This record gives sequence, C-alpha cells and structure tokens, in this order.
Amino acid sequence: MKDDTYDGPILEIDSLSISFFTRLREIPAVMDFSCRVRPGEAMGLVGESGCGKSTVALGVMQDLGVNGRIVGGSIKFKGRELNDMSPTELRHIRGREIAMIYQEPMASLNPAMKIGKQLMEVPMIHDGVGEKEAYARALEVVTDVRLPDPKRMLDAYPHQLSGGQQQRIVIAMALMANPSLLILDEPTTALDVTVEAAVVELVKDLGKKYGTSMLFISHNLGLVLETCDRICVMYSGEAVETGSIEDVFDKMRHPYTQALFRSIPLPGADKHSRPLVAIPGNFPLPHERPPGCNFGPRCDYFETGRCDAQEIKMHNVEGDERHRSRCIRFEEIDWNAPIAASIKQEKAPIGDVVLKVDNLKKYYEVAASALFSSGQKKVVKANETLSFEARESETLAIVGESGCGKSTLAKVLMGLETATDGHVVLDNRSIEAVPIEERGTKTISSIQMVFQNPFDTLNPSMTVGRQIIRALEVFKIGKNDAERRQRMLDLLDLVKLPRAFADRMPRQLSGGQKQRVGIARAFAGGARIVVADEPVSALDVSVQAAVTDLLMEIQRNEKTTLLFISHDLSIVRYLSDRVMVMYLGHVVEIGSTDQIFSPPYHPYTEALLSAVPIADTSVKKRHIVLEGDIPSAMNPPPGCPFQTRCRWKSEVPGNLCETEVPPMKTLATGHQSKCHLSDEVLARMEPVIEMPGAELAAPAVENKAEA
Amino acid sequence: MDPLTWSGSLGPFLNPLMLGCVLVFVAAFILNIVMSLIGMRQAEPIVNADHTISYRLGAPDYMLLAMKWAVFVFLGAIMIYILGGILQPSMEAKGIIGGVGAQFLPVWISLIVIYALSIRFKRRLGLYGKLFDNLIGMIGFGLVMFWVLTAIFAPMIATHGPIDVISGLRNDPPGTPVSGGPEDAFPYYLLGGDALGRDVFSRMVAGAREVLTIAPLATLFAFMVGITLGLPAGYLGSRLDTFITFIANMVLAFPVILLFYLLVTPEIIEAGVPVYMAAVLFVLPIGFLWVLLYSRFRAQPHIIKWVAIPLVLLLTLFYLGTVFRFDPIVWLATSFIGYLNQGNPVGEWMQTTRDSYEPLIGINIDGNLLIVFVSVVFVNSPTVYRIVRGLVLDIKTRDYVAAAQTRGEGPWYIMLWEILPNARGPLIVDFCLRIGYTTILLGTLGFFGLGVDPESPNWGSTINEGRRLLTVYPHPPLPPALALLTMVLGLNLLADGLREESLKD
Repeated sequence: MKDDTYDGPILEIDSLSISFFTRLREIPAVMDFSCRVRPGEAMGLVGESGCGKSTVALGVMQDLGVNGRIVGGSIKFKGRELNDMSPTELRHIRGREIAMIYQEPMASLNPAMKIGKQLMEVPMIHDGVGEKEAYARALEVVTDVRLPDPKRMLDAYPHQLSGGQQQRIVIAMALMANPSLLILDEPTTALDVTVEAAVVELVKDLGKKYGTSMLFISHNLGLVLETCDRICVMYSGEAVETGSIEDVFDKMRHPYTQALFRSIPLPGADKHSRPLVAIPGNFPLPHERPPGCNFGPRCDYFETGRCDAQEIKMHNVEGDERHRSRCIRFEEIDWNAPIAASIKQEKAPIGDVVLKVDNLKKYYEVAASALFSSGQKKVVKANETLSFEARESETLAIVGESGCGKSTLAKVLMGLETATDGHVVLDNRSIEAVPIEERGTKTISSIQMVFQNPFDTLNPSMTVGRQIIRALEVFKIGKNDAERRQRMLDLLDLVKLPRAFADRMPRQLSGGQKQRVGIARAFAGGARIVVADEPVSALDVSVQAAVTDLLMEIQRNEKTTLLFISHDLSIVRYLSDRVMVMYLGHVVEIGSTDQIFSPPYHPYTEALLSAVPIADTSVKKRHIVLEGDIPSAMNPPPGCPFQTRCRWKSEVPGNLCETEVPPMKTLATGHQSKCHLSDEVLARMEPVIEMPGAELAAPAVENKAEA
Repeated sequence: MDPLTWSGSLGPFLNPLMLGCVLVFVAAFILNIVMSLIGMRQAEPIVNADHTISYRLGAPDYMLLAMKWAVFVFLGAIMIYILGGILQPSMEAKGIIGGVGAQFLPVWISLIVIYALSIRFKRRLGLYGKLFDNLIGMIGFGLVMFWVLTAIFAPMIATHGPIDVISGLRNDPPGTPVSGGPEDAFPYYLLGGDALGRDVFSRMVAGAREVLTIAPLATLFAFMVGITLGLPAGYLGSRLDTFITFIANMVLAFPVILLFYLLVTPEIIEAGVPVYMAAVLFVLPIGFLWVLLYSRFRAQPHIIKWVAIPLVLLLTLFYLGTVFRFDPIVWLATSFIGYLNQGNPVGEWMQTTRDSYEPLIGINIDGNLLIVFVSVVFVNSPTVYRIVRGLVLDIKTRDYVAAAQTRGEGPWYIMLWEILPNARGPLIVDFCLRIGYTTILLGTLGFFGLGVDPESPNWGSTINEGRRLLTVYPHPPLPPALALLTMVLGLNLLADGLREESLKD
C-alpha cells in the first residue's frame, strides 16, 4: 500500500546518464542529469527536440525499450531506487504512483473501449476496488476535469469526443489512482491555443487540489512559466541550467538560456527595431557532440582552451536558492549587456493593393447519406463573407484555430477550390472562379504557398535541386537546363543554403533547412503573394527565429505580399503589419497589429490573446478561459458564431447574439469588428497583456500601448 | 560401373559429424524448453562503468550457444561436401551430393562474387546495400539468387537435355550410371531418372529457367496493370474509383482455378478471348510509360522527341508483333506495292507475303504460354490495384502533393512522379512476395496440366508427373518440390528483409 508517511523529495535524480545502443555505436541521450522534485512542486523540463527531455521521463518510468539503458546515476522515487526494482515492483508504481500523460491523446486511449470502462480499470487493477466504487470515483474525477455531462462522457467512445475533451479524459485517467508524481510530456502541443489554455489552467488547479508533484515537459517557455515552480533547461542531453522560474527567467546564468529567450518573440520584440536573434549553427548530433561544453560552438562567449578543455560540471549560482548553471564562465559574463548591435532594418514602404477579396464565400456540400447521394445534403460553410485587401510588401496575418476556415481560404486563393460566391481580385482580374488548371502560368507563379510541416513539404524521393528546377520548368523560367540550374543555385543562395545541397536528398536535411527549400521553391517563379501556412510552427524555437527572419528579408527585397497564417499570436505581433482574426469561417476582427493587440477587442480576440503563453515574468496577463470547444462547422450555432463561448454575451440586450449575425462594424480607420457589443462596452475593455515600464520596450511598443 | 553413393569418400567422416550436430541441436533445444519451463531466463545485459554492455551467462545461454554452433558445424559439413565435390577428381569420391555441388560451380562462383562486391560497397547501394545488414534478407537474397543464377547457367549445369530419354533408366534411383545413351553423355543420372527415363536433375535445372522467366515477367505486368489503374482510382477518386474497385472486387471474387479452366477451354481460345485479354492488359504498360515520360519531360522537347517517342513507338511495334502477330511495316510495304501495281492481280501475293513474314520485333509467344501469362496477370492485378490505391489515398494528403498542385502540375505528373516513387517501399516488398505466389500459381497450373506444354520441365508439371508413382519412386518429384519450396522461401525472406530495412530509414 502507499507510503503516506514519506516527506522527503518525491523524485530525486542524481547524475543520471542514459544511452541507446545501436549496432554501430553507443549514443548517449542524457548525460549527468540531476534534478529534485519536492512534494507538490511542479518542475518544468524545457529544451528543443532531441535534447533528451522525453528520455528523462521514460527513464523515470523505466521504459527505455530494448536499446536504451541507464548507464549511470540513480533515480529515487520517494527515497526508493527505481533502477534496482524488479518488474513486479515497477508495475505497482507505474500508473498508481507515477502517471504519465502523452502528447497525442487519441494514442493513449483505447478506441474500442468506452471511456468509463477505461477509467474504472485503473482503481480496479491497482487497488482492487469493486465496480461500483470505481464508477463513483470515475464520475468524480471526470467532474473534476470539468467535462460537461460526466455521466454521458463515461458512456462515450474516445472518438466521439473532441481533442480537448480527450486530453481531459487522459488527465482524468492519470488522476484516477491519485498518483504522487505526474509526468506530462508535451500535453497540449496537439491542441488549439484556447483549448490549450483551458487544459493548462486545469492541470494547475488539479495539481493544487490533489497535491501532486509534476514533471512538465515542454518546448514552450511561456507554458512552463504559467504552470511550473521550477525549471530545468536542457541542451543536447545535459541540463544546462536549473532553478526557480523567477531566477532562470529574470537572472539567467547560462548562454543557451539567454540565446533561447532572445530567439522567441516576446511582446517587446519588433521586426524592425529589435529583431529576433537566432542561435547560429545547428544542434549537434548525439554522436558528434563537441568536446567540453556542448553549446560551445554556438556560444557568443566561447573561449578556446577553457570551454572545450574539460567536461563542464554544474555550478551553484551564489545567492540564489538551488539555482545551478553548467557554464564555467557564468561569473565573468555581463548578463545585463544589451543585445549586440543588431542591424536595424528599414521598413519597406507598403505599396498598392495587390489582392482584394470581397464577400468571398465557400460552401461545401456534404451528402448526409453515403449510399444515396441524391438524398439530403448538408452545407458546410467553410468561409462566410470574407473581405480584405492585401498590399504590396505587406504582411497580413490570418489568425484562428483549427476549423476557422483559414486553410479553405488558402485553397480558394491558390485555385485548388473555386469560390461559391464573392470575388478574389488579383491585378484587376477576378480569379475566384478559375480553377488552377485554367490559370495561366503567370497567375499561378505569382501566388505561391509555403507549407506547415517541414517533413512533408518536400518529395522524399527527389533531390532538392531537382524539386526547385521542376518548379522553374513549370513556371517556364529559363530557356534551357543550364539556365534553370543556375537560377536554382541562385535561389539556394537566396535562402542561405549551401549550393552543395542541390544534390542532397530531403532526408539529409534538418527541419529548418527543408523549410528553407520550401521557401526557395515558393519564390521560384517570382511570387508576389506568398501564403505561408504556419511555416515555423513545427520548428524548434531557435530555428524559428532564423526562418522567420529569412522570410522577412526576402519579403523586403522582393516586395512580396505575405499572407501569414498562424495561431501563434506572439509571432504574429512580431512580424505582421495587419491582422485578420477568423472564427468558424467568419472574419471577426481585422485591423493593424496595434489595433488588434490593444482594446477595444473582439471578445474572441481577447480570449486568444489571453491564451497565448508569454515567457516573460514581468508581463501581467488577465486569464480568460473559454468554456467548451469550437463548434463544428457542419453545425454552427445560430446568430453570432462565437456566442456559445462568449463571456460578453450578457452585455448585449435581448437575444440578439443568438439570432443575428453581427454586422461588420468599423471601430477606427482600418479596424473592423464583427460584434453586437455597444461602443461604451467596448470602451470599458481593459488590455489583456500589460507590459511593465515602457523603458524595457522599444518605441514601437509604446505606440501600441497608446493606440 | 557401380551406382554412386550419396556422400562419396567424405561420408565416413562427415556423416557421423552431421548426425552428432543434429543430436546436439535437438538435445539443447529440449533442455532449453525445460529450463524456460522451470523459470530459468536468458542473461540480462549489464552496463559496465565504462559504458560497455556485457552479459553474465547462465545455463540457458549455453544451450542457445550449443544450438548455434551445431547449426554452424552442420552447415560447415555441407560446405566441405560441396568443396570436396568440386576438388576431388573421380565421381565415386564425389558422391551424389558432391557431384551435384560440383555441377553448380558457376552458381557458387557468381554468388561469392556478388556477395563480396555487395558487402564491400553496401553503403553506396541504397536499399539493396542495406539488405546486407540484415541476416534474414541476406539468406533470402542468397536463395533467390541461387535459382536466378541456376536459370542463367542452366545449360552449363544440366548434365543431360531436359527431354532426352534413355529408356533403360526409367525410375532408376539417384546415382545410377548411364548406359545406352550417346557416347559423350554425362556418365550418371545424379538424381535418378523419371518414369520416362529422363534425368531428374537436368529437368529441375531446366525448370528453373522456365519458372524464372514467366513468374517475374507476369508479376511485372500485373504490377504495371495494377499501378496504371490504381493511381487514377486513388488520386482522382469519385465514380472512376467506385467503378474500377467494383470490377477488381468482381475479379477477386471469381474462383481462380475455374477461371483457368475456362481460359484453356478450346471454345474460348477459338473465340479469341485470351488474345483480347492480352490486347487490353498489355496496352496499359505502354500507355503508362508514355504518360510517365511525357509528364516529366514536358518542358524538355528534345527528350520527348528523341527518347520518349521512339521508345513508345518501338514498344507499340513490339506489342503489335507479340499480341496480334502484326507488323505494320510489312503491312505498309505490301500495301504500297499493291498500290503501285494497281490493276495487277497482286492481292494474293500481298496476303501470302504478310502471312509468311514474321514480325520484325515481337516474341512469338506460344498460345498456351500466352494463356498462362494472361491469367496470372488477370488474377494478380486486382490485388496490386488495391494496394496501390490504398497507398495513393495516404500519400495524396501530403504537403508535397499539395505543393505540386499549387504550382499547377497535371494529375498524371503528380501520380507518377510525386506519389508513385514514394509508394515504392511497400510495392517492392509486395513484388517479391508476389513472384513467390506466382511461382506457386505456375506450379499449380502445371499440376493441373493447364496451360504449359506437357513435355515442359516446369517444376509444377514435373511434380505432377512424379505424383503417380510417389509411393514406389519418391525421387522424381522431390527435387522440383524442394526447388519450388526454397525459391518461394527465399522470396519471402527477401521481402521480409527488404521490409525491415526500408522501415529503418
């Protein structure tokens, strides 16, 4: 039975090393990793992909697979050594004392079993309780994770729930056995921002309520700030800095942590005056780590003969509690020095209107019955009366969560779908009804797209150069093969890739490099409008900055109009000139970046802003958690699309919100909002994000605060 | 002359050794099972301080080691038999095993060369090279290559002609000396004679050639047809997909054997059904090739002009010559002469000339063989079609396909150059497996006496012939049966190896 008298640290990891053994060599995945989680404490484990953070979690679960071995150190759970436990003892601990929540909720649930049964299994197996008691407990936990109608939930199959609901069930399942330690491996990465915010809020509250210790693995610094008490930053298999959230965020003592913070778009960053600083170089492969400090080759403070001379140990930072850094120079570095003179970029003047979308509608007809297609038909309104303009050299961000219709909009612009109604005007010509087969080469090459998933954007069985040349061939650029090859090499220069990459296969490239090839391909025909569909969201933060800057630079030089689709408002704030917020096929708000990010807001924009985690301890943010999930586009609510989740609904007299779609209302020049709220209510709105002292922020941000 | 013994001069030493190996293996195997039943386990790996892994071995590990070495020694003994067969001068000393081993000398040499080269350069050979990282794959590849090389070197290996009859040797056991044949003939029937007095060994070797030409070719055509139909069905979807899938399901639901019986019925042959089917099935690959080349090189007219068009024309001639025995050049020439001689009675001359000229290119496929070919393609292509369609449905959702669409590529380019190359992994594996099925299918056909020439040394027919006297003379059907077994086994192992290695990337 559970040992409730123990009051030491829940989890003590001491100089843990984990390696994977392949036929060729030993690959060290985690080296000399130490951390300590006290009861009720939440520990954040942060790092880029491949840094070993998930391996640590698997090591704690003693589930490293056939090739993985713990090659040194100890993992103590409640004072007992996990490394020496027999499989039977481990089985008792897993699931009951240590529970794990994975990234993909659907993968953790058995699709053939009802939710209730899966939940009831946990106490029935671990504590041997009866069915009735287990059911009562399941009902209680499902209520705790704030799912509507818990009884019905228990009787549902996993596929009948939305992604957010599934993740809540997974959390409920982890809590069923009332574990002492909860390991969360990127629990919200697969979810939308507003849903993510709600799940994070839930995890925080439950941690308090149940007194559970947590190991929270994430690549998102903002999320860790919101959920954890302590943080451990990992780089290439090592913990490089660990300490309390405040110490690490405000007084970082490791160059990697600093570089990481400089490469993410915090509210103060601006693409012209304070551009992001990407970390130079690439993440070292596990078997090609440099001698000495792993971060050495990419570090600004690198000193030959010292940093690469010996293994670097963790050093205590004097004056802080349990704040340690793996840097031998941390006492010499001036941590408050301003960012090395970054080149200020001149803002390119915004030109004429290139693309004009007017009242665009795209409806899909879905047959209600698969067998008799002539029967009833359902209409999915993917895009509903979209209107906007995009100018030369302008970045228009399109923001919204999944199902908001942004991908459909991209398809209509590209010509993969034709519009149901309305106009898309490019160079005074309507193209909304012209499918791509009937478009001329010039039209096609002037609207191109950059895709989201770098691992999917290139054809894996064609060389990089060949793929770019193919685009040139299709766009009829260059008279012969030699000319096209030359142009292809120029394009590789443009995206700052070595020319030798022309003969490489895509699998030999990293994610960021593939994304650069994707950009080169999009610009092959001299594209004037580029639709970038979340081009950096699948990349690591340090790479994100570099790719974003590349896009910006090409845009400045080529005077491209960039339609930047994203759900990440921090990056949108950093790089866009104007923002368009979409919800369920409607444009709910459109305006310049300053107008969108300051009140008056559309209620949905307000919630979105609040949901975005910000990795800055000084920023104050109001918490607005949206209830429920995004309604299905098959079955949208009547009236205002957002009325089911809106917290301002009570401010509108009568049942206007439920009956009538609000008209587009102009709030200021270029700022429009689709909401019934009256002007005085809008005037009452307070800013969601409050920046302390303007001296931190660049002038551009001050303007934002005034606006 | 005395009949040969099985093991020749090496037998007295090696036979007890091999018997010992078998006994050790069986004993170790039983002990191992007993130990695992009483709860003894294999050694867990221990990580040392210097990051190496070692094992503390226990009794079950020693049993496994004993089994492993017993297998090695057994295989070594077989190697010595073969080497002995090659090196020893007299047939008596070689024995039957040694003699057969010596006949396969060209195969051994080629196998060694292929393996040495492949392993030396395996890092540069892509998926094929990776096969040599995988023991299962290597064994499978070895078995397959053994029979491929046997087919290639068949005339050098075979001791007699496949249909040469020496009437005194009917049903004689393996190792019987030849008497009564031509003077310069090989002096022994190594694996005995069959019911008509033909050499079993030579027939098996010659059968390899028959099986290995038809099976891969027929499978290749089945793939061409399956791919040509599966790509548009999966990619374009809608009604076309429903229609083709329906047809494929119908063909799949039809009993295969019944279909074969129908196809060889004289009335159906006279009605020309096989020829029509061949006409339809064989035209698809040509269309496939043309679309493949055209969609890719649309922007390079010189390649279209000098490579694609001549190649497709050549194949069309080949197609007409093979399926319809029709040569358009002869037809045009005679017509032209006929035109010049208008008014003269040349009609009869034209007809005879056209009939007597063999088409310039095109293989004169035996009618029976054509039926076999058509039926194998017909039966296999629906399955291939379903695999291709499933793969296409998956791959067409990838971003690189969307990228191709947004730059205005045509559907055929996307299907053939963006989707098909990325479906190759599962298709190559299925190709290997399917050659195996086809080989068995050919055996089955031969077994029923369908399709192929009754004299043919085809393994299936040979097994069928030997079946009648199986209880009295088991030696004639066994060698072809073992040959069929090892080849299909090899193909399966090869497919397993390829699948494993292609997943590792």
